[in-house]
Amino acid sequence: MSHETEPIVSDEEKEILQEIMNIAFGNATADLAEVIDIYVVLSVPNIEILGVGAIPNFIEKSVKVYSEIDVVEQKFWGDFNGSGLLVFPNNAGRELINVLDEGGDVDSFEAKPIDNLEKDILMEIGNILIGACVGKVAELLGTIVTYSPPQVISNDNNNEYSYFIDSFDPNQSAILMKTVFKFKDQDISGLLLLLTNQESIEWLKQALNAFMESYE
Amino acid sequence: MAKTGIKCFYGVLRMIFSQIFDMINSGIVILDRDLKVVKWNRWMENYSKIPANDVIGKSIIEFYPNLDNAKFKRNVKSVLAFGNFSFFSQKLHKYIFPFKALNTLGVKFDYMQQNCTMGPIRGENNSIEYIYIMVQDVTEVAAYEQKLIEMNIKDGLTGAYNRRYFETRIKEEFARHKRYSRPFSIIMQDIDYFKKVNDTYGHQAGDFILTSFSSSVAGRIRNVDILARYGGEEFCCLLPETNLKSAKLVAEHVRHLVEQSIYKFKNLELKITVSQGVAELNPEMSSHEIMLKRADDALYEAKKTGRNKVIGWEEKNQNT
Repeated sequence: MSHETEPIVSDEEKEILQEIMNIAFGNATADLAEVIDIYVVLSVPNIEILGVGAIPNFIEKSVKVYSEIDVVEQKFWGDFNGSGLLVFPNNAGRELINVLDEGGDVDSFEAKPIDNLEKDILMEIGNILIGACVGKVAELLGTIVTYSPPQVISNDNNNEYSYFIDSFDPNQSAILMKTVFKFKDQDISGLLLLLTNQESIEWLKQALNAFMESYE
Repeated sequence: MAKTGIKCFYGVLRMIFSQIFDMINSGIVILDRDLKVVKWNRWMENYSKIPANDVIGKSIIEFYPNLDNAKFKRNVKSVLAFGNFSFFSQKLHKYIFPFKALNTLGVKFDYMQQNCTMGPIRGENNSIEYIYIMVQDVTEVAAYEQKLIEMNIKDGLTGAYNRRYFETRIKEEFARHKRYSRPFSIIMQDIDYFKKVNDTYGHQAGDFILTSFSSSVAGRIRNVDILARYGGEEFCCLLPETNLKSAKLVAEHVRHLVEQSIYKFKNLELKITVSQGVAELNPEMSSHEIMLKRADDALYEAKKTGRNKVIGWEEKNQNT
């Protein structure tokens, strides 16, 4: 519990981050609706500082309501460095087809099996939601990030899921921003987590202070 | 002086970058916010057969109408609105630009397999003014992957599916047919006196018989059916949506075909027969193992009662 005796971010910094997240997520939802016709409601984000080793547990606890989950994971890098995780209940892919495919515009690239279609939909939604939120946070903090391709991990595939869990380095600390998202008019909700790598925490502290100063 | 120095420096940089742009072994397309082509590198010229001068200033959709779909446009918008990156992976999309594929490793693809990335290019004040699309040719990797998948599910000698794949499929079919209570049958097949072929004419002749038998059966069943080599000279057919009566008919066709065939190996003319046991899924069978056991029992009976015949497992057999 070293982070309790020696907090990696001060309460004030945490507050600023919380404020930035509020603004960023608000902008993101507005733009998503306006530009891409995706109507999603994001709850007020909440920020936790955790040892990375505690994250798998944290995810499991947060999504206990669903027995089977799909996680869309996407890394982003730059000054602001970390990963976005979107946790969906297992059957969400099928229902999300309705959110995206307006007017029965079936995929025109090539016909593909339904499993792939679901995966594709999850990845695309993941890519857009994570990108929108991370992008807006980055914008407020005056930086630009690059994204790696998203991947979908199901916890009903044991191998995949345990590789994913093992990929967390337990010796690191992370700032974890958590919000619940819900698709309007659609009974689909899930969790959006943004993890900040330890490497970028120093930069983040500076950026947060710079953000504050610009308002003083 | 200093000014011309900087100018000169940028001139050199521009020269370097424009050479890299054309030398790189990937496609790079730069579009403006209206999807008009701004840049089209030499790789794109080469594979699309469209010279840069013909495409620049025109909408990409004009040349590639397949991009006129909701997904592509949505991704364009998310790049422009959020500075997002979008990914069109080969696994999911195969390609976004239909370019001719060279055949790799004997695996035939209609079009070059591509991994594509789309992202923002910013102008002054960080505003997003252009979109880039990077195209990577991954046909060879996709071909390797396809080969590996094939090796993983097929029997190397006969080209029938292997036992492991069969086990996976029978479990899946079993679950599906239990749920929707559609008919579902299997045929267990065993080549009669196969050991004799091996002992008399050698293993090469035996291998030839296995391969020939496998292709005879494969030619007899439907596309949705599965023929697997279960072990040694034992094969098994999965017949979804098929009841016992039809499955027995299929088995009878196979039996007849094999009996009539003369298998020519070098200067030998070999004849074989096959014994078959057929079982249809019924509510009494609580697992796929039981279903397999029933077919196997029927096969045993076919063997015991004279070979070269088809026996179906019927519930009345249960007490015998």
